[in-house]
Amino acid sequence: MEKFLEFKDVSYFYQTKESEIHALDRLSFDIGSCEFASLVGPSGCGKTTILSLVAGLLSASEGEILLDGKKIEKNDSRIGYMFQRDQLFEWRTIWQNITLGLEIQKKKKDEKMLALCEELLKKYDLYNFKNKKPRQLSGGMRQRVALIRTLALQPQLLLLDEPFSALDFQTRLKVCDDVFEIIKNEKKTALLVTHDISEALSMSDKVIILSSRPASVKEVMKLNFEGSTPLKKREDKDFGKNFDKIWRNLT
Amino acid sequence: MKKINYSKAHARYLKKLKKEKALVAFWQIFVFIAFLGIWELFSSVGVLDPFFFSSPSRIATTLATLASSGNLWIHIWTSLYETVLGFIIAIVLGTIIAILLWWSERLRKIFEPYLIILNSLPKIALGPLIVLWVGSGTGATIVMCVLICIIITTMSMLGAFISCEQDKIMLMKSMHANKFQILFKLILPHSLPEFISVLKINVGLSWVGTVMGEYLSSKAGLGYLINYGSQMLQLDIVMTSIVLLCVLAGGMYLCVCPLEKRYPK
Ligand SMILES: Nc1ncnc2c1ncn2[C@@H]1O[C@H](COP(=O)(O)OP(=O)(O)O)[C@@H](O)[C@H]1O
Ligand SMILES: [Mg+2]
Repeated sequence: MEKFLEFKDVSYFYQTKESEIHALDRLSFDIGSCEFASLVGPSGCGKTTILSLVAGLLSASEGEILLDGKKIEKNDSRIGYMFQRDQLFEWRTIWQNITLGLEIQKKKKDEKMLALCEELLKKYDLYNFKNKKPRQLSGGMRQRVALIRTLALQPQLLLLDEPFSALDFQTRLKVCDDVFEIIKNEKKTALLVTHDISEALSMSDKVIILSSRPASVKEVMKLNFEGSTPLKKREDKDFGKNFDKIWRNLT
Repeated sequence: MKKINYSKAHARYLKKLKKEKALVAFWQIFVFIAFLGIWELFSSVGVLDPFFFSSPSRIATTLATLASSGNLWIHIWTSLYETVLGFIIAIVLGTIIAILLWWSERLRKIFEPYLIILNSLPKIALGPLIVLWVGSGTGATIVMCVLICIIITTMSMLGAFISCEQDKIMLMKSMHANKFQILFKLILPHSLPEFISVLKINVGLSWVGTVMGEYLSSKAGLGYLINYGSQMLQLDIVMTSIVLLCVLAGGMYLCVCPLEKRYPK
């Protein structure tokens, strides 16, 4: 598989008045196109930093990040970022939330893009809530809206930062399945950050295990579980074995 | 939407709420009437000296005389005009300054100590200066009104702007928003509830500014009337003016309230 996203010896330092925080240490990994990769690592190890670098919100102190073979630049429209918690704007309707990106990029009159938004809403059971406000939706629905908002700009690479951490366990399993289905359907490459090992295992083709801060790659695990959805993958006989392996690696 | 049939308890609950509301309204009116009645009674039997405490009936007569001479409307209009104008100028300017301070962190750092000092300064201390600079009359009163309202407007709005969640700003940036878009699509709508509460606070403060300004120097207005009445020892006029102030300030507050219903927190 060709490399779609590639980190080459990337280091990052945060500067504060008191000190310098070494967040990433010569980090190297790659993700193929249409691959679903997860980053797992202890909290505070630098996972969000990695996503911010890919999204161009920060720029690497050392090393380089390549997207499709070229050095990553700021405001690359091939990248979509889904944040921790849904970050929906309460004063906007669902429709207005979903089209926020189009509005910002002055594509609100692009019929094709609008049609895509409508289609996504319909496909993922949110069309009836088009004109509702976010507070009228359940946590799982809000998360789907946040994902559609990200997809509306048609990114090729999706960055997901612990998108399910605010949900209760039941909803979480369900939304996991939904999000997985959407991402696979739309043929996107995804980079998911999570501290939940079973979530990483059940969703990904590849798990990248990070050391504690400064983060570097400890191990990359390729996965091949039976099952078409995360929930079914959890029933694979090797699931537990792999879980233990990651668990030991993390502690 | 599905129509849901609630249990009988729900109907009972609604009835209880309604009853409670009626009861509160009743007592509110009762307190008002009792207050007026006791005031009138005490001043007529001599417990309260009507010369110092006036009475509802004397206030009514004063109102009638003032109204028939036509002066009443001039005073009301002057104060209302000063207050509303001062209120609007302070809100607009204060919010613009807050936006500038949000926009540039350096500007914010430079002006922070000055804002704190200005906020702590009793603005009335500047009164004589204002009169010297802009001359006595309506202008000075409006300046006083603006001074009193603007600092709190700037500080509250800036606080609201800054309190916007960092991840929301990052979200905007990840969708390639520029700073104008972040301001107009995120920061300002996020701060709307705070803006409405600033409006409510400023209704009260702008009347403080107007009355203070009119005490300093003026030829008309309710503050002027209070000052005049107390110097002439005509406390009926003072009381009448205070009643009018209550009505006007209350009215202005009621004008702001619907906004809060429309844009709840
Ligand atoms: N803006 C910042 N300034 C200084 N230090 C930061 C900043 N953001 C994150 N850090 C530090 O960098 C480290 C990695 O942060 P982060 O990438 O958010 O971790 P994770 O997402 O893995 O929990 C943490 O120790 C955190 O305290
Ligand atoms: Mg994080």
